[in-house]
Amino acid sequence: MTEAVENQVEEQAQPEEKLVTLTIDNIEVSVPEGTVLVDAAKKIGVDIPVFCYHPKMEPVGMCRMCLVEVGRPVFDRATGEPVLEEDGSPKIQFGPKLDTGCTVEVSEGMVVRGYTEEVVDARKEVLEFLLTSHPLDCPICDKGGECPLQNLTMRYGPGTSRFIFDEKHHAAKHVPLGEIIYLDRERCIQCARCTRFQDEVVDDPVIGFSQRGRSLEIVTFSDPGFDSYWSGNTTDICPVGALTTADFRFGARPWELKASASVCNHCPVGCNTTVNTRREAKSGGELVIKRMMPRQNEYINEIWMCDKGRFAHHYTQSEERLTQPMVRNEVGELEATSWEAALDLVAEEFKAASDGLVTLAGARLSNEDLFNIQQVTEKLGGKALQNTHMAGGELVASVGVGQGSNLSDLGEGDAILVVASDLEEEAPLYWLRIKQASERGATLVVANPRDTKLSSKANYELRYSYGEEAAAVMALLGSISPKTPGESEAVKKLSRGQEVKDAATAISEANNLVVLYGNEGTGLATSQSLADACANLLVATGHVGKANNGLIAVWDKGNTQGAYDMGLVPSEDLAADLMSAKAAYIVAADPAGDDATLAEAIKAVEEDAEKFLVVQELFLTESAKLADVVLPVQANTERQGTYTNAERRVQIFYPAVPAPVNVHADYAVAANIAERLDLKLQKVIPAQVMAQIAETVSDYAEVSYTKMAEVEEQWPIISSEDVFYGGTSYENEQGMGQQLQPASQGGESPALSFAQVADAPKVDGLLAVPVTRLYDRGSTVVPTELLSERLTPTSVVLSPDDAEKLSIEPDAEVTVKLNGTETKAQARIEAGVPQGYVLVPRSVGIALNSPSPVEIKA
Amino acid sequence: MNALRESYGQEIDQILAKYPDDEKRSAVMPLLFVAMRKDGYVNKQDLEDIGEIIGRSSTDVASILGFYTLFHDKPEGKYRIQVCNDLPCALRGADEYLDNLCDNLGIRPGETTEDGVVTLEAVMCLAACDKAPMFQVQDYNGVAYHENQTVESTMQLVESWRAEGGKDA
Ligand code: SF4
Ligand code: SF4
Ligand code: FES
Ligand code: FES
Repeated sequence: MTEAVENQVEEQAQPEEKLVTLTIDNIEVSVPEGTVLVDAAKKIGVDIPVFCYHPKMEPVGMCRMCLVEVGRPVFDRATGEPVLEEDGSPKIQFGPKLDTGCTVEVSEGMVVRGYTEEVVDARKEVLEFLLTSHPLDCPICDKGGECPLQNLTMRYGPGTSRFIFDEKHHAAKHVPLGEIIYLDRERCIQCARCTRFQDEVVDDPVIGFSQRGRSLEIVTFSDPGFDSYWSGNTTDICPVGALTTADFRFGARPWELKASASVCNHCPVGCNTTVNTRREAKSGGELVIKRMMPRQNEYINEIWMCDKGRFAHHYTQSEERLTQPMVRNEVGELEATSWEAALDLVAEEFKAASDGLVTLAGARLSNEDLFNIQQVTEKLGGKALQNTHMAGGELVASVGVGQGSNLSDLGEGDAILVVASDLEEEAPLYWLRIKQASERGATLVVANPRDTKLSSKANYELRYSYGEEAAAVMALLGSISPKTPGESEAVKKLSRGQEVKDAATAISEANNLVVLYGNEGTGLATSQSLADACANLLVATGHVGKANNGLIAVWDKGNTQGAYDMGLVPSEDLAADLMSAKAAYIVAADPAGDDATLAEAIKAVEEDAEKFLVVQELFLTESAKLADVVLPVQANTERQGTYTNAERRVQIFYPAVPAPVNVHADYAVAANIAERLDLKLQKVIPAQVMAQIAETVSDYAEVSYTKMAEVEEQWPIISSEDVFYGGTSYENEQGMGQQLQPASQGGESPALSFAQVADAPKVDGLLAVPVTRLYDRGSTVVPTELLSERLTPTSVVLSPDDAEKLSIEPDAEVTVKLNGTETKAQARIEAGVPQGYVLVPRSVGIALNSPSPVEIKA
Repeated sequence: MNALRESYGQEIDQILAKYPDDEKRSAVMPLLFVAMRKDGYVNKQDLEDIGEIIGRSSTDVASILGFYTLFHDKPEGKYRIQVCNDLPCALRGADEYLDNLCDNLGIRPGETTEDGVVTLEAVMCLAACDKAPMFQVQDYNGVAYHENQTVESTMQLVESWRAEGGKDA
């Protein structure tokens, strides 16, 4: 065994890392210098019990659970030679006291013993101390069954207590730290994993310790309580049942749960998740989703996930789901019908419309769905559109990050440019990974019109005005290669100053460079020039075509990249495209609900008897209400498929619960339509759809379900049978996915166009710009009641100066006059907002696709 | 706006001047003293104000406040009577004295009289063991020792505070 283990360890070690060999419980192991004993032991399958140590955080040595005997070889002072025992083995000197395995680093020749009587006694004593103020109410505790305190007590703990039961310490058991996370004070063992996670890992120090000793408790003073997008993770790493989510507490016992692998599609990161389900009497004997947990993927989400991904799954089992195909009858009402009838009608109308078919698909769909939908559209010569306001999918396919990239590899000597993005709001896990890269020493350049949470980590901060996104990147490029053509006023202005020159130098000299662009304040046109500019910068500095270099678009939806790859393009004028349609096929999108202008366009289609509208959806959306035919579909928890994330990693999600009877997956519905158009598409097995994709879409030629399902050994090893270590995040047994090769890595030189650089739009009054908030009011978020208080209200955000000029009080109701519509909204006032601009959060009730003049009235 | 800064701007600036720019959080203790002096305890707004001044979350400030027993986070009696009932004092009758005092005041250790004049606490050795029963009083003016006490002498003192007008005096 030892040999095999050594090999693995060596593989993981960086070439320049020095290996240290030591013996733990009589097994020899070689690990990189600086490794702490508990980690070294974990690598050879020896569990040294821990409570406060967590492999993703700095050791603190607070709980003493990890005590072990540590011995070091003795050297002769005079000769410097090791002293030998009589039998010729090196003499080992053990310490006078036990050492904490979580803080002691390995050294050459060290001998560690975790099985001696002294160690076993120490474990018993530490447990006895903890249990004096612990209720041991395992039978009603949510952690029971996956709790290290329970397991270690069973293994090492005393069978009885020497303390008087009546004097047992008691404390409050249902303390809400906000409406999402609950604290059980008497279960807390004061390990500070939760507070350190919030402070060190995610930079939201909104929970902390108060008081001392027995009175110590976790408190929060933020408003709302425990105000963080990451709070759910603390319940995973809390080694006892002290922290629980309101979503799961008292919901089920861990051993009753079934686990299925899934992938989050709320944002383009694509966190690996596990859906825990249970068949329960309470739900009429149905299999229902009890909780969503992270699943380890060190390329993507490590062992974390954000609260949106964790909690916003309730839509999949909403009562409002559509379950039957419907068709509009003679009196103009939607009426249930059979699939046969519905599909026949759809096919007939599509055929009649022929190249007048306009398809609009939402990027929460899987690649398989998008492919089949695109094929149907192509067969008829229609237009296949996706509903995004972000451009650049082809550029990412060409100069995206290379195969083999891992944001965790970025550190000293590397650079990251984040432009036009409020990264934590747009893609929480990318924010975390970029923050960590900057902490490892990567140079971080942040270009944005206002401060975001990432700003505090930036080495260089570049400010530009909304509309000058591309100009800001061109200014960087101009500082590197002065021959950049067509310099606009904006570029000249932004090129001034030392900061931009220094940032440009850092970027051009970086070993590796990753550029992320988001959608802060951009519309489709500005997004295109921004993407062009970023691609130019990468190519000019030679940072394309290799791992850990290239472009990442922080897409507005989970599978936007997949939609681009499947050939769906954004529409420059959706209203016009819809108006021109003879038949419209709208899938997983709700233009009528999103935007009043589009609602008009859809109504026009509906009212025109010649025209035909099909909506394929989970819910009876505003668009569906206007449709001639409505086709119900399965949620992603009920079926299999793949998503392509922003780093072009293609990943499989699996079914967790059965679909409603007679409801099919999107790809199957599309394939059934195709069949009636004499087009053969796969409709039963998603892996076969993928095989067809691999044949048709050259970038996906290598992709297969088998390869995506391959697993790799990951570090840290997070779990084992009974000793908690990394938390309740699931191990990855279902695959790491497959990262696609960008064309530039295949040797193709990228075809680039120079960015159209605009100057900032000039308006007399205020300019409204769209921004992203994580907790929006999208149809997949709203059904989760738990988040209802945290969702962004219908609101606009003003600078303090503008608010004062307009005499607007914080949170006052105002009228927003924008693009010919009037909406009542709450006025928020935020210090970082530049004067003259009004931020309009997307998907909260005010439609705004690109910067537009706005009037705000108190 | 920052209310604490508005009322104590100059003093706060002086405090901050003692710390280097990137270590402003070290000013948390003296800033908590300022807030304590204001109304005898630190309220939620103070936590936010201090957090804003030193660039930390109010939860962080609250952790420090909670760690020290001499900071208070809710309004209590104007006078804080801290009776020592550690072993040497107990041998001189401090326990019995404390019990009787409780009965007379109508509160238990840790509680505050209804009129808001007295908060009673039992504490560890105050280094006046030979003069027990004894207590120290903490009020807005500082700390004073009262030694060789009887319940009667203590109640007299309490009555004199009450006569002064109690809470608002
Ligand atoms: S709540 Fe849990 S994670 Fe936090 S200190 Fe207590 S035991 Fe540790
Ligand atoms: S970061 Fe994005 S992908 Fe990950 S859980 Fe959150 S919303 Fe889902
Ligand atoms: S002291 Fe080592 S795990 Fe807590
Ligand atoms: S024991 Fe009471 S003052 Fe020392």
